[in-house]
Amino acid sequence: MEFDLENPLTNFDDGFPDKTFLFLVELDHMPSEKYLAGLRSVGCSDDLSVRRGIISSISQLSGNLDPTLSYLAINYVDRFLSSHKLQKPKPWVSRLLAVSCVALAAKMLKTEISLADVQSDGGGGFIFDAHSIQSMELLVLGALQWRTRSITPFCFISFFVSLFKLRDPPLRQAFKARASEIILKAQNDIKLLEFKPSITAASALLCASHELLPLQFASFKSDISSCSYVNKDNLLHCYNAMQQDVAMEGCESALDVHSSSDTPINVLDHHFSCSDSEVTNAAASTVRSQRALKRRKTQ
Amino acid sequence: MEKYEKLEKVGEGTYGKVYKAKDKATGQLVALKKTRLEMDEEGVPPTALREVSLLQLLSQSLYVVRLLCVEHVDAATSKRKAPSAADDGGHGASAAAAGKPMLYLVFEYLDTDLKKFIDSHRKGPNPRPIPPALVQNFLYQLLKGVAHCHSHGVLHRDLKPQNLLVDKEKGILKIADLGLGRAFTVPLKSYTHEVVTLWYRAPEVLLGSTHYSIGVDMWSVGCIFAEMVRRQALFPGDSEFQQLLHIFRLMGTPTEQQWPGVTTLRDWHVYPQWEPQNLARAVPSLGPDGVDLMSKMLKYDPAERISAKAALDHPYFDSLDKSQF
Repeated sequence: MEFDLENPLTNFDDGFPDKTFLFLVELDHMPSEKYLAGLRSVGCSDDLSVRRGIISSISQLSGNLDPTLSYLAINYVDRFLSSHKLQKPKPWVSRLLAVSCVALAAKMLKTEISLADVQSDGGGGFIFDAHSIQSMELLVLGALQWRTRSITPFCFISFFVSLFKLRDPPLRQAFKARASEIILKAQNDIKLLEFKPSITAASALLCASHELLPLQFASFKSDISSCSYVNKDNLLHCYNAMQQDVAMEGCESALDVHSSSDTPINVLDHHFSCSDSEVTNAAASTVRSQRALKRRKTQ
Repeated sequence: MEKYEKLEKVGEGTYGKVYKAKDKATGQLVALKKTRLEMDEEGVPPTALREVSLLQLLSQSLYVVRLLCVEHVDAATSKRKAPSAADDGGHGASAAAAGKPMLYLVFEYLDTDLKKFIDSHRKGPNPRPIPPALVQNFLYQLLKGVAHCHSHGVLHRDLKPQNLLVDKEKGILKIADLGLGRAFTVPLKSYTHEVVTLWYRAPEVLLGSTHYSIGVDMWSVGCIFAEMVRRQALFPGDSEFQQLLHIFRLMGTPTEQQWPGVTTLRDWHVYPQWEPQNLARAVPSLGPDGVDLMSKMLKYDPAERISAKAALDHPYFDSLDKSQF
C-alpha cells in the first residue's frame, strides 16, 4: 500500500478521499505536551540540544534526498522522544536513533537507500550493523505503536487549497510549493510543534497567500476559518508565529548546522537583503543576511 | 506480552492464530493476533510496516475493529517465555527456537461474530428469524465500514460472517481481519490447512481475474446480506468450480452481453446455460427495496455493482434512523 505525505491513505473510489477522517485522527501523530514543555522550558535546554543533535544527524544522513523524508524521520523522533526521554544520551545513541528513523521513513516512502552508504557519507563517525538498526527500529515502532503513516500538515494542503477555488494551475502549484516549503521550515521552530498538523497546514497556506496572493488573503482566511474542523484562535496564534518566522526567514535559524559547502558571498553586495526583517543590530544583520542568501541559493 | 493472560484460542485468522486474552492490569478482554515478523537484512520489512500502519489508521473508525496496541516479541524474549508457549500449539515455541520475532496485534474483543450470531438464530433452543430491522441495521454498519475502507484505498478481499464481529448487547457490528492483504498474501489455505471459505468470493475472483477492485467486497456484502435474511448461505460451494455453479444456477450463466469480457477470463470454461432465477424467491422474507439493493450488489459485471457509498443511500435504508450512526 503506497504512502506519501500528502496522501497517507489513497483512494480508488471517486475523487475525494475522506479528509474529515484525518482531522479526527491527527492527534495520534503529534508529540506529547510534556515533551514540548520540556523543549520550551529554560532549565531543560538539554532536551532541546538532544533534539537539535538528532535533527542535525538526520539532515546529514538524508542530505540530498527528498526533504519530506527527513520531515517524516523528524516526526518519528519527536514522537519517540515523547515517550522515551533521553537524558544526556551518548552520541552514538542519538546517532542510532537518527539512522533508524531515516531507515523507517525511507521504507514508508519507498525510497531506496543504502544505509551503509548513507552512514559513511553522513560522516557521523559511527556505522551501525543491521542488527542494531533493526533493534532500534523496533523500539521506535513500539513507541509509535506502528503509527508510521503519519498525519502531517502535508495531508491537509490539497483539502484547504480546494476551498480556495484557484483556477490557474501553475499558480496553484506555486502556491502549494511555497506552503510546503514553509511547513518544512516550521519543523525547526519548537513554538510551532504544539499546533495540530491541520492548523500548521492552514497557517502555512495563509503565509503563502500573504506573499503570493495578497489580494485574496482576506477571503482565504475566511474560507479556512469557516471550516468546522479549524479552531480560529489556534489558527491565528499559529499563523502569527509562523509569519514571524517567514519574515525572519533565513535571518535566524534554530538549526544552522552546516554551511561549509556553500559558496562564500560578497557581504557588501548584499548588505541590505534582509531589510524586511525586524533585526536592528546592523552587525548581526550582515552576518544573518549572508546566511539568508546562502540558504536561498541552496534551495 | 506478559501484560496479557491468554484465555482461549478463539480462531484461526487468515494470518495466524487468534486468542481471547485478558489485560492483567485492567481486566479488559482483548483479541490477540499473532503473526511472524520476517526480518531480513533491511530490518523491519517495509510491507509489514506499511500495512500495520495502515491498519492502525483505518481501525480508528467505529465500524472497524479497533487495534489497541501493537507489540513485538523478539527472539530472546520469546525464548524466555518458552515454557508457556507450549500451550499455543508449539507455534510460538518453534518460532522462538528459530529466532523469529513475532508481532502481536492486540484488538478490542467483541463477544461474538456474525456467523455465530446467525447460527444461534438457525439452530439451538430458540430458532427464529433475525428481526428485519436488525438485518437492516447490521447491513448499514457493514456498509459504513466497507465505505470507510474503500474511501481510503483498501480492499478487504475476505469479507465473511466470521470476519464481522458483533456486540449483541449494543447491537454493534465491526469489520475485522482487514488490511493485511499484501504483506501477508491471502492464502487458499490457512496455515493449519483449514480451507478458506469460498462462499463469499466474487465470480471475477473465482474466474481468475487478476485486477479486481471494490466490486469484490460488494459481492461479499450481497452474500452476507442474503445470509442474514435466510439464516443460511446463499452460495455454499465446496470447490471453486462448485462455487461458480451455485452462483450460475441462481443468477443465470453470465453472458458477454451482461458482463463484457467474462469469456476471456483466465479460468472461464464452457458451462451449462442456466436462466437467471428470481432472486426474491431466495430471500422470501425480504421486501422489494431489499431485493433491489441485493441484486445491485450481485451484478455480474463488477463495474456495474453498486458501491458501498451509493448503497448507504439506497431506499432500503429509508426507514432506518440514521441519526444513531
